[in-house]
Amino acid sequence: MSMTFPEPVAEGARGAGADSFLDRHRTVAPRDYNRFLVPPAALAVHLSIGQAYAFSTFNLPLTKLIGISHSAPGDWTLAQIGWTFSIAILILGASAALFGRWVESAGPRKAMFVAAACFGGGFLVSAAGVYWHEIALLYLGYGVLGGCGLGIGYISPVSTLIKWFPDRPGMATGMAIMGFGGGALIAAPLSLFLMEHFKTATTNGVAPAFIAMGIIYFSFMMIGVLAVRVPPEDWRPAGWEPPAQPKKLVTTANVLVSTAWRTPQFWLLWGVLCMNVTAGIGVISQASPMIQEMFSGRVGPAAAAGFVGLLSLFNMAGRIFWASISDYLGRRNTYFVFFLLGILLYATVPSIGRQGSIGLFVAAFAVILSMYGGGFATIPAYLRDMFGTMHVGAIHGRLLTAWAAAGVLGPVLVNYIRQYQIDGGVPKAQAYSVTMYIMCVLLFVGLLCNFCIRAVHQRHHHRQSARQ
Amino acid sequence: MSKLRFFALWLAVAVPLAWGVAKTLQNAVKLFQ
Repeated sequence: MSMTFPEPVAEGARGAGADSFLDRHRTVAPRDYNRFLVPPAALAVHLSIGQAYAFSTFNLPLTKLIGISHSAPGDWTLAQIGWTFSIAILILGASAALFGRWVESAGPRKAMFVAAACFGGGFLVSAAGVYWHEIALLYLGYGVLGGCGLGIGYISPVSTLIKWFPDRPGMATGMAIMGFGGGALIAAPLSLFLMEHFKTATTNGVAPAFIAMGIIYFSFMMIGVLAVRVPPEDWRPAGWEPPAQPKKLVTTANVLVSTAWRTPQFWLLWGVLCMNVTAGIGVISQASPMIQEMFSGRVGPAAAAGFVGLLSLFNMAGRIFWASISDYLGRRNTYFVFFLLGILLYATVPSIGRQGSIGLFVAAFAVILSMYGGGFATIPAYLRDMFGTMHVGAIHGRLLTAWAAAGVLGPVLVNYIRQYQIDGGVPKAQAYSVTMYIMCVLLFVGLLCNFCIRAVHQRHHHRQSARQ
Repeated sequence: MSKLRFFALWLAVAVPLAWGVAKTLQNAVKLFQ
């Protein structure tokens, strides 16, 4: 195996121009290729775009661009800044849905390159926005351009990994999607370090930090671009044969993306993902004030930051843990565990809060967040079980609109219900109880959706294709 | 060469991730102090 790029290609495919290096046919691996070289390529992309979860580290500095040490008149407000992340997540869902089919046909290398260019470029445009103090450029840069990078980057390695690991699809996609959870763990300290490094008497270092991050993330994602490979046609892992009698919900056929999204199974899975994500994302958005208010006087801002970090850690670990477990438990059963255990934990949290047990409270939310991450990481393998491998990346892209919906629904539910409770005279420490019970209801809806999932009817199968 | 490539790739993603995890754990300790 060679360290050099690009690999040999068929005669006639050469000389097609500089962009041919990115083409799918240039990424086909030899039959004896070590498939464990592919997950790090996926991780390089997901660890980069996972930065999105840590964008809030820029929130306060962005409100002090004029005043430097304090917010001066003319400085952006926190509400204005908050839109940047919301736009990015909305565009993530939209671009994953819109470009999913293109990602499948263009191949992972071209898709990863476009994602790297968009994500890195988004930082550069945002830096210009900060430099000229033009918020539209921040929305356009990080929100729209960066959001496209997030969406395309998120789905780009999924179908490739599923094809490389037909024996362990959950573990394979779990490894990549774990990177998205882990990206925040790297980005938060990196952002703080860069801002501190570039800080001067006249600037708080946000613009140069954005430039540096754009360059760093583009370069890091290029590792994925260079390293990614697709398996040859009809490739199988050595010694592995598809089970003669597949499990009840695992299809041996393929369903086209244009057909898949018209099936009830797609929308039931949409509901499963949306409910699972809504329950987790609401907590993530309010984790710091929630623990401080529920344990008033015992948990300060520094300890609350530790709690947020711990949740990120479990969010990341849950992705590889639950997705790997799903290869043995089955996808449907894994989601049953998420919903049943989630309902039990959310229902118990108010009484844990009343007892004042910080340890139990942290443990409960650690498990909840592990299942939030696990939900993201297990869904591609669930889709592959239901719809086959042919268009799994594109179908996954469309399903991610559930994430965008949950990104709005979750925080809104937690924030508004909390405020409604406080306005009604409920003490802050108890203002989250109703929210927890509403989360139980949402998880119950997800449980019902999961319960209703049956195998896709044969009339939806694509006749000219057979899954490996 | 294949082994070198294997270690280089995994190291490239593992090192920043380990750094991030260590930094996060440093913060998380404050929760129990």
